[in-house]
Amino acid sequence: VVDGYSGKQLKKTNMKILIVEDNIKLLEAIEDALSSEKFRCETTISFTGAYEKVLLYKYDIIIVDINLPDGSGLDLIKEIKKNDITSGILVISARNSLDNKIEGLTLGADDYITKPFDMAELIARVKAVLRRRNFSGSNRVTIGDIVIETESREVYVCNQKIELTRAEYDILLFFISNPGRVLTREGIAEHIWGDNMDLADSFDFIYSHIKNLRKKIMATGTLNPVKAVYGVGYKFEISNQ
Amino acid sequence: MIPVMIVGGVFCFLTFEYINYEETDEYLTFEMGRYIVHHNKNNVLSEAYHFAYLIPGKNYLKPVFKDTVLFEPGDNEMIPYRELHFSITHDGKVYGVALRHLLLPYEVVAKGTVTIVIGLLLLIAFIIFIIMNQVTRKIWKPFYAALDNLVNFKIEHSLPVFSATDIDEFKALNTTLSSLLKKVTDDYRHNKEFNENASHELQTHLAVIRASAEKLLNSPNTAGEQRINELQKIYSASSHLSQVQKSLLLLSKINNREFYNNVDLDLCIVIKQSLEIFTEAANLRGIEIRLKLEPVIIFIDSGLAEILINNLIKNAVKYNVENGFIDIALNSSALIIKNSGLPYAGDPNTLFERFVHGETGNLGIGLAIVREICELYHYSISYTISGQTEHALNIKF
Repeated sequence: VVDGYSGKQLKKTNMKILIVEDNIKLLEAIEDALSSEKFRCETTISFTGAYEKVLLYKYDIIIVDINLPDGSGLDLIKEIKKNDITSGILVISARNSLDNKIEGLTLGADDYITKPFDMAELIARVKAVLRRRNFSGSNRVTIGDIVIETESREVYVCNQKIELTRAEYDILLFFISNPGRVLTREGIAEHIWGDNMDLADSFDFIYSHIKNLRKKIMATGTLNPVKAVYGVGYKFEISNQ
Repeated sequence: MIPVMIVGGVFCFLTFEYINYEETDEYLTFEMGRYIVHHNKNNVLSEAYHFAYLIPGKNYLKPVFKDTVLFEPGDNEMIPYRELHFSITHDGKVYGVALRHLLLPYEVVAKGTVTIVIGLLLLIAFIIFIIMNQVTRKIWKPFYAALDNLVNFKIEHSLPVFSATDIDEFKALNTTLSSLLKKVTDDYRHNKEFNENASHELQTHLAVIRASAEKLLNSPNTAGEQRINELQKIYSASSHLSQVQKSLLLLSKINNREFYNNVDLDLCIVIKQSLEIFTEAANLRGIEIRLKLEPVIIFIDSGLAEILINNLIKNAVKYNVENGFIDIALNSSALIIKNSGLPYAGDPNTLFERFVHGETGNLGIGLAIVREICELYHYSISYTISGQTEHALNIKF
C-alpha cells in the first residue's frame, strides 16, 4: 500500500468520523470523499441526531456544520466539551465571519473550514487534526521515499534532507495528504493563501512553486512525483519501483 | 436695544425736565401764596420766601414764569433758575415781585437719565437672561432628551424610548424619529439576515457543485479532454463565484459595522504577519521588498486590520512587474505602500471602484474593501502613479 499513512504510523481504517451536515448532497459528498480515504464514516443531519451519537459512541473526529436546522454546531461543541469527549473537532461554516471562526476555536474546535471547500482540503485538514491530536503516536508522515516530520516541518527524500520554503512545504504536505487525487490550482491556492489571494492571479505563483518543489525533490535522485493534469491542476503519484 | 435706549432715554429726560419745571413752578406758586399772605398780614415787602428782586411800577395781570441763568462764581458756571413774577400793591403803589428758585441743571438731568436708563436696561437684560435660561431649559428638555437618544443610538442595540412631552412639535419629532429609527433598524436587520441566508444557502450549494465537479475530475471514467475542460469550467466558475460572493458579503458586513471590536493594535506586527504570506510569492517574481516601519498603535478591529493590510500587500505583489520593488513605509501619521507596476492611463482613484479590473479577469474588489475600511475609520486614502510606473497608496490615519 502506498499512501500517506501506510504502515505503523496511522491505522486509518480504525479512524471513526462523525459528519454532521444538514445538506444531504454535501453530506454524501463528504462521506464519499472520506470513505475513499478509508475512514469509517457515520453521518447525521441534525443537532439532536449528533448529540445522541456523540454521547453513545466514540469518534476520533467530529466534523460539524455550524448551521443546523435544530440547533447550532457551536452548541454541539459546548456539549462535547461539557461531556469530556476527547474527539477532534473540525467546524464547517458557511459564515465567513471572523467572529464565528474565533468563537468556534475558543470553544475548543481543532480547526475551521469555510464553505465551499475542496474535498482534498477537508481530507488534509482531517489528517492534520489527527496528527496534531497525536492519535498515531508519531508526527512522521511517510510516502514512498518521502518522509515529513510535521512537528519540525522537516522533509527527507531518499534519506536526504531538503530545504523547502513555507509554501513548498505546505503544498507538499497537501499533496501527501491526498495521494492519487487531482488537486486543482484553485484548491492549492486556497490551501496556501486562504481567502487572501484572488484565484486567477495565483496560478503563475503556483506553477513556480511546484516547479521549484519538483526540482528539489528530483535533485535527490527520486522520480518526479508531481504530475501535471492538463488544464486542471496536479496530482501526486509515487510510481511503484 | 439701541433704539429702545434712545427713545426711552429721550422720553425719560423729557419727563424729568417736565417734573423739574412742574415741581419748581408749584413750589414758587406756593411761595408766592405765602409771600402775599405775609404781606397782607404784616404789610411789608419781605425779602424771604425766595425773594429775588422788586420791579417798582411793574404790573402783571397774572403771575408769569421765566427762565434765567445766573453765573455761580463758586462753581464758575452758569446755573439755571426759574423765576415767578407777580404784582403786589404796597402802600398804594404797584410792585412787580420776582421769586427765584434753582432749577436742576440740564446736564444733571441728562446724566441721571442716562444712568437710570442704562441701569434699568442692564437689570432687564439680566432678568430676561435668567428667565429665558430657565424657560428654555424647561421647554427644550424633551428636545435635548431626543437628541441624546439619537447621539447614543447604536443600530445593533434596541430602539431608544422617547420621553413623553406636551409640546406638539416635539411630540411630532419624537414620533417621526421613532418610526425612522425603526425603519433603519429593520432594514439593518433584514440586510443582515439576507447576508446570513445568502451566505449559508449559496455557499452550501456551491460546496455541492464544487464537490461534484471535483469528484468527476478525479474519476478515471471522465476521460476525454472535452469533458475535463467543461468540468474544469464548472469547477472554476463555482470557486470564482464563491470568492466574489465572499468579497461582496465582506463589503456589506464592513458597511453594517458587523466587525467593530476595536482594540489597540500595532500595525507593524500586522504588516509583518501579512508579509509572511506574500514574501514568497514576491520572491518568485524577483520583487524586492523594502521596509521602513515604526511601531504604530492604532485603534481598529483586528480582523479588519488584517484584511486591510493583506489586500494592500496582495495588490502590491499582484500588480507588480518582474524584478520590481515594494516600499512599505509606516509612521504614526501614515502608511505608504509604493510598488513598481505597469503604466496605467486612467485616473488611479477609479481603481477603488468595485470590479474595475474586470478586463484582466481579476475580482477587482480588493481596493474597494480597502476603501470601505478606511472610510469606516475615517482614514484618508489616495492612489497616485508617478513616473508612469510607480504606484503609491497613501493612507493617512
